[in-house]
Amino acid sequence: MALLLRLTGNQLLRHQSKTLCKFVRPVTLKPSQYVPPVQMGHDERNMKLGRPQSPHLTIYKPQLTAMLSISHRATGIVLAGYAVMFSLAAVWLECPIEYYIEQIRCAELGPACIFGIKFTLAFPLLYHFWNGIRHLLWDTGRFLTIKEVYLTGWTMLAVTIASAIVLSGY
Amino acid sequence: MALSLMLRNGTKLRGIAGLQKCTFNVQKTQNFTQFLNQDNYKTLSLVNKCKTQFINVAQQSKRNMSADHGKLWTLEKIVSLALLGIVPATFLFCNPLLDDLFALATVIHFHWGLEACVIDYIRPIIVGPVLPKIALLLLYVISATTLGGLLYFNHTQIGIGRAFRQFWCISE
Repeated sequence: MALLLRLTGNQLLRHQSKTLCKFVRPVTLKPSQYVPPVQMGHDERNMKLGRPQSPHLTIYKPQLTAMLSISHRATGIVLAGYAVMFSLAAVWLECPIEYYIEQIRCAELGPACIFGIKFTLAFPLLYHFWNGIRHLLWDTGRFLTIKEVYLTGWTMLAVTIASAIVLSGY
Repeated sequence: MALSLMLRNGTKLRGIAGLQKCTFNVQKTQNFTQFLNQDNYKTLSLVNKCKTQFINVAQQSKRNMSADHGKLWTLEKIVSLALLGIVPATFLFCNPLLDDLFALATVIHFHWGLEACVIDYIRPIIVGPVLPKIALLLLYVISATTLGGLLYFNHTQIGIGRAFRQFWCISE
């Protein structure tokens, strides 16, 4: 009995050492110079891998959130353009501004045209003004849920259009 | 019998289990192999080392991408908040002091805004290293001349507030 046990035990051991060989492979450790990891920025890595840029605008559905964000920047650029043009005009034009205002008055453009001019001036300013309040509120940590973002977005849009129409017709 | 066999080989089985764990750890760290259970703590310390290295790289790459913006951010928000009051006040009250304040705050505000646009859209990785610097320099020139022009207008003519008020009364 004891012999039998020992024999089977040996058999098992041999079997196990075979299975062990699967996991154990000879390894030699060799010291080598430390090579610092390649420092690559997020954009660089993405470009190297040929990934599309995030956000992937061509596959995204135009949403209110993204549209209001980009138009906030767009209106900001437009207003900056107005300021630069006004400043250049102030330096380059020879006559005082009252003269040019009088010229426009004498041209008798008609109420629709004047409304149009005033609207193109007032709309970007009012949009940037009201949406700017929204952005500042976000910066204080308020109205940040998706529902609130959409609610304040539509409200802002309504207030902007209404105030722009009122101010342009004034 | 079976029990005695299990007892006999239990330690070995446990050893194999530990071995597999070890190889898994080694694969994670991707550095070198350590098989023995007693050296496990070494692999652990190695993992920690790698982690700290990754964190360092992340911090460095972040630093490479943008400068510390914390203090300027607060100032930007203060100017934006001030503009909410200054802009309506300038057009309502037509005050020379408000006109100058309007010019200064507006130019600072749009300078920061356009600076963000330049950094976002004219990126060195796309247009090369020179063009972003030229664009930023150009922006400084534009902002400075605009501020100069607006202040010149305020001090030689009727002022921004009154000018817009007169223009708005064009249809009367």
